[in-house]
Amino acid sequence: MKSLVAIWVLCVAGLATAIAQSGLPLPSPVEKELAARASNVTEVTLGKNMLAFAAKFLDGKDKDDEATRHLIEGLDGIYVRAYEFDKEGQYSPDDVEKLRSYFGTTDWSSIVRNRDRKSGESTDVMMKMVNGQPHGLFVLDAEPRELNIVLILGPVKMEDLSRLSGIGGLGVLGDLDTDSHGNTNRNKDKDKDKDKTKPPKAKTGGEE
Amino acid sequence: MAQRWQPDFLQLVDEHQSMVFSLAWRMTGDRGLAEEVAQDVFLELDRHMERLESPEHALNWLRRVAVSRSTDSLRRRRVRGVDLWVEIDEKHGSPAEERQSPLETRLEQLLSTLPEAQRAALVLRYQEDMTPEEIAASMDAPLATVKSNLHRGLKLLRAKATTHLKEYVRGL
Amino acid sequence: MDFEWTDQRDKGTGSEQDREFERELKQAMERRPAPPNLKRRIMQKRSARRTEQHHTSKIWWQRLAASLLVGAVVAGGFGWRQMEERRRGEEAKQQVLTALRITNQVLNNMNRKLAEHDRSDNGK
Repeated sequence: MKSLVAIWVLCVAGLATAIAQSGLPLPSPVEKELAARASNVTEVTLGKNMLAFAAKFLDGKDKDDEATRHLIEGLDGIYVRAYEFDKEGQYSPDDVEKLRSYFGTTDWSSIVRNRDRKSGESTDVMMKMVNGQPHGLFVLDAEPRELNIVLILGPVKMEDLSRLSGIGGLGVLGDLDTDSHGNTNRNKDKDKDKDKTKPPKAKTGGEE
Repeated sequence: MAQRWQPDFLQLVDEHQSMVFSLAWRMTGDRGLAEEVAQDVFLELDRHMERLESPEHALNWLRRVAVSRSTDSLRRRRVRGVDLWVEIDEKHGSPAEERQSPLETRLEQLLSTLPEAQRAALVLRYQEDMTPEEIAASMDAPLATVKSNLHRGLKLLRAKATTHLKEYVRGL
Repeated sequence: MDFEWTDQRDKGTGSEQDREFERELKQAMERRPAPPNLKRRIMQKRSARRTEQHHTSKIWWQRLAASLLVGAVVAGGFGWRQMEERRRGEEAKQQVLTALRITNQVLNNMNRKLAEHDRSDNGK
């Protein structure tokens, strides 16, 4: 039994070291609480080496794979958390603020900070600039029944990100376009069927 | 033996998209939102196709879901503190040359000032030409409630229309 | 008030004006034509959702196939390492796609909210 515990501790320590060395943060304490309350959890953690490894299996002849490879090329890491809840009120503005503070250290600049006090919805976007170039993107998206964290480290190709919806297999979740009156049109990207095809509380962490 | 009706999704979209869009527009008062609602309604239809038993069933199903989704989207926006009913952006409306009467010009705006239940009753009655009994069955509401909503809604709408007509005439 | 659907007993001194208003309302409430691109958008979203469902279903089959393949090779004792690397590589690739899909959703949510925010500001 003691040897099992020792192995487990070594694994966690190894994981923590690997994540820390890749520049990706360790999971914040709030995330554990959110995961406990969520009905569906998706966690993806990909360090530099894992991204490079995955890129080898993206088929250069397939245009979608090629677009994906171009996007992740050179990145230092991707850290994504998606929490879905059965009902509203499963997390508080305080939880959101804790997440924001945890990820948004001093070398990050706030680009967007949008709050709707009545609904509790919020959006935070932060960027890390190095020599005038985006070298990190953080998005924290809080909706009534969803909370999403996206952290991309490394040289972020913003134009490729804006074309994400054009890469097949990622789900055409809608993009902004204008209606006949020149108004930007909202497309709700809540594909209500997506979770039916996933098992609940799926953890897909791909740490190195 | 009669063959079971096989719904065709494309055909249903062609046949009913204007109905769904109009319902959603009159319920929400916002053209952009109505387009979203209409898309959602048909995507939900796609998931429920095998449960549809007849063309009439499909039509009633679409009406019910269009009203329901419209009120849901209104509630979400209300929760966000966006006051839709103060000003309806003229840009959201149809081009002016399509309009005929002053009532038609301001219809969506006037409807948007009514409580949702009355609005729904009026739209189903006068756009969809449903009887109060059909509305009650479709919305799963008591007939007396439907009639009361129709009655009050018409009274209110008429009072507001008269006021707006005067303003419209003054503005000409 | 007296409308065409009003019960007889409730009809008061209702007037021709009520009926006239009803007629006007019915005319005003004619269905508006759907936007020309509505059908196209519906079909696009429907197709995209089916692609995603198929894609996710494919992931599971791929994983099952990969696992079976690995099992067969282990049993056969041949090229296990290469197969394992292939399996891990495919898994890594799927994780990348999952991460990017969520990123896409988040960015769309952000754009939507910002557009709504701008619109409500313009409406003031």
